[in-house]
Amino acid sequence: MALAGGPDRPAGAAPLLADGLRWLRSLAAFVASTGFTLFGLLLVTFFLARLSPVDPVLKVVGDRASQSTYEQVRAEMGLSGSVGEQFVNYAGRVLRGDLGTSWSTGQPVAADLARAFPATIELATTALLIGASLGVLLGLVSVLKPGGLVDNIVRLVSLIGYSVPVFWLGLLMLLLFYATLHWAVGPGRLDVVFQYSIEPRTGFALLDTWQSGLPGAFANAVAHLALPAFVLSFHCLAGICRLTRAALLGELSKEYVVMARAQGARRGRIVFSGALPNVRATIVTVVALSYAGLLEGAVLTETVFAWPGIGRYLTNALFAADLPAILGGTLAIGTCFVLINALTDALVAFLDARTRS
Amino acid sequence: MNLRSLRSVLLAGALVAAAPFASASAATPPNLLVVAQSIEDAVSFDPAEGFELTTVQALNNLYQRLVQPKRDEPTVIEPALASAWSVGADGRSLRFTLAKGAKFASGNPVRPQDVVWSLSRATKLNKSPAFILNELGWTAETVDSHLKISGDNEVTLSWSADVGPAFVLALLTAPIASVVDEKTVAEKAKGDDFGNGWLKTHSAGSGPFAIRAFTPNEALVLDANATAPGGAPKLGGIIIRNVPDPASRRLLIEQGDADIARSLGADQVVALKGKAGVIVDEVPSARLDYLLINSGAKNNPTLANPAFWQAARWLVDYEGIAKNLLKGQYEVHQSFLPNGFAGALNTTPFHLDVEKAKKILADANIKTPVTVELAVFNEPFFTQIAQSLQATFGQAGIKLDIRPGITSEIYAKGRSRNYETTLRYWIPDYFDPHSNASAFAVNRDNNAASGPVAWQANWTIPALTAKTEAAVREQDPAKRAKLYEEIQLEVQLNSPFVFILQGRDPVALRDNVKGYVQGLNADQVFYDRVTK
Repeated sequence: MALAGGPDRPAGAAPLLADGLRWLRSLAAFVASTGFTLFGLLLVTFFLARLSPVDPVLKVVGDRASQSTYEQVRAEMGLSGSVGEQFVNYAGRVLRGDLGTSWSTGQPVAADLARAFPATIELATTALLIGASLGVLLGLVSVLKPGGLVDNIVRLVSLIGYSVPVFWLGLLMLLLFYATLHWAVGPGRLDVVFQYSIEPRTGFALLDTWQSGLPGAFANAVAHLALPAFVLSFHCLAGICRLTRAALLGELSKEYVVMARAQGARRGRIVFSGALPNVRATIVTVVALSYAGLLEGAVLTETVFAWPGIGRYLTNALFAADLPAILGGTLAIGTCFVLINALTDALVAFLDARTRS
Repeated sequence: MNLRSLRSVLLAGALVAAAPFASASAATPPNLLVVAQSIEDAVSFDPAEGFELTTVQALNNLYQRLVQPKRDEPTVIEPALASAWSVGADGRSLRFTLAKGAKFASGNPVRPQDVVWSLSRATKLNKSPAFILNELGWTAETVDSHLKISGDNEVTLSWSADVGPAFVLALLTAPIASVVDEKTVAEKAKGDDFGNGWLKTHSAGSGPFAIRAFTPNEALVLDANATAPGGAPKLGGIIIRNVPDPASRRLLIEQGDADIARSLGADQVVALKGKAGVIVDEVPSARLDYLLINSGAKNNPTLANPAFWQAARWLVDYEGIAKNLLKGQYEVHQSFLPNGFAGALNTTPFHLDVEKAKKILADANIKTPVTVELAVFNEPFFTQIAQSLQATFGQAGIKLDIRPGITSEIYAKGRSRNYETTLRYWIPDYFDPHSNASAFAVNRDNNAASGPVAWQANWTIPALTAKTEAAVREQDPAKRAKLYEEIQLEVQLNSPFVFILQGRDPVALRDNVKGYVQGLNADQVFYDRVTK
């Protein structure tokens, strides 16, 4: 940084080369740290799963299989050697791009993830869009008059969002909007008439239905997405709202705000034009963390709404001690976390000059 | 964010929120049956491997066997792909004549070669249900010597085990004995897998349906097989949707977005009864729930005392569990053959009587209080029953220490005999009394590395084992049933098993769904005559 930005900056091709090298170094550091993180994640998950009291062979063959079947399946599952050997074998296969076959679905883990992940990304992204939009909005509105009626209502909404179990809320929403008012459609990603007539090219129901050109299919996908997305958004909305409010109130207590008010500026203008730009990096970080949480934490929403996503997949895998699925899913979610963190860092650096190094 | 962008965000939010309210429909397609259930247990639809509830329920609709239990009288075996059969002179073989003109869904004719190949591959693959064929003495090494093509349209099966032909016929009704289209599957085989990899998600049978698509954790889609030898199904197809949450299944059937919902909890059944448009059918099931006592538990010699087993029988609140806890979804049953099986003993001599139990314990000099571990599956059904047992056993000074665990952990404890007591359930593997008798009344070698439930209980029973093995050889149905009654009585009165409940499987159907048949055994689910 000192070289590039210093007063004796060389002219011509040298700065470009220096910039290029700097970027390469950053990239290499990022790749190395990502690789190290994922390896650590794999190592910890593998040994935790293998040290659990669950016998994955019995989960596969059941209680009545003969001893010869048990031994045969144990060997087929790669569980014959020591735990260390099993880990080395598994890590070797992962490096070759083979995540193995799930013991609980009988399918390649990569295929399972390719099917489950888009479902969760679609749900979590929509939920985040709703949650972040409303959360930031409510946070903004609540600081216009702290302690006022609106602020108290927003606090109540946030409190409910934090404290209401998502499972219960999902069932209640289904009961009200689907079963009683008939405003919403039922659980699942699409009505049965569409679900098995549309080729899942991307795994994203919105994209696949749009591409299919079938009348009503896209609207049906949106309709199925809306209720679970709203339920899921409610929880992240609460967090984003409270943190936006706290960040804005912190900003509004600063001297430049006092000065602006002394000069006669209206509070609304101060909030939108002065304080909000200064806390946007904080809000981006909170939103990114919420997104990461939604990606792996939507299991209850997925269960209630029969949404075949990664949360449900991983939970089933955990109960079945399905090591390949657990490790594959953990790697996929871990990679998402790393990428979201990197993107957030880049975005925060772009938004807030103070964080650039 | 400025005011303009704020307005955009508001507008987008409003659009997303409004979208669902435009289209809420509640009807299933007329030619399609939509079933809501959890299919997350499904691993393989290969009849040589599939042993989970979802797959077993599907296999009868995808494949046929040589013979099958009669639907309305399952103790009677009737022809399926075999039109006739005869017993060999030595009583150790069966000669089957195949029905003429039978075809697989692929259009290939059903040949004797297909029968031989199917049974051979099922034994050689040695997957979870292979132990059923092992009952005949068939192993990977010997099976081919027992399967012979004995004519253009005939096949002869023999066995080395000391069992009678009636038992063999019953065993051949199990899903693992399904006849698979060799020509189709052999093309898909990889290495020595006999096409197992392909058949996990595809079908190659002659049943009324064929798999169109299976997406794990999402749906199983079946197409009607118009050329099915047993007759083409009435509907064009079935979609079995994965709906993991029972409360959501209830809402789907209530709204008409599913035609059938199964595996409903007691709460859902109560809520659905009397709802317009929905019929709740509580189908008797062969599932039995029982308390298993390890008479060889190292740290608790009290459990080896038959007086403890006796006392335990009087310390179960049978009626309270069945009627109050499980809201009538189960019925009290105290023997190892479920009501509906030939020879089933339906007497219920035991009820909750704490004073009687205390006297039995005192007479046997069993000191109380005594602490006993109770391993249970970590699911509400089992933990609720465990808590009831804890309360009633506690009244007699037996403190049950409940140890919940996940399924495979509890199985592992049983297989290693590393438990004191455990709450278990049993579903017969095939429709014959021996399926249960071989579990609870046979322990050939208590020092073997593994064995049936009696072995897991460390219960040494040479005389009862011999009697049970004689029963499986008996050819006279009446005499055989009598033998099983005697064996059950012995187990009922004096064994480390306390049988508590027989299940009912609640199935909710829309009132326009007709012709759905579900039998006592887990595999007896039939969709072919369903209309709506």
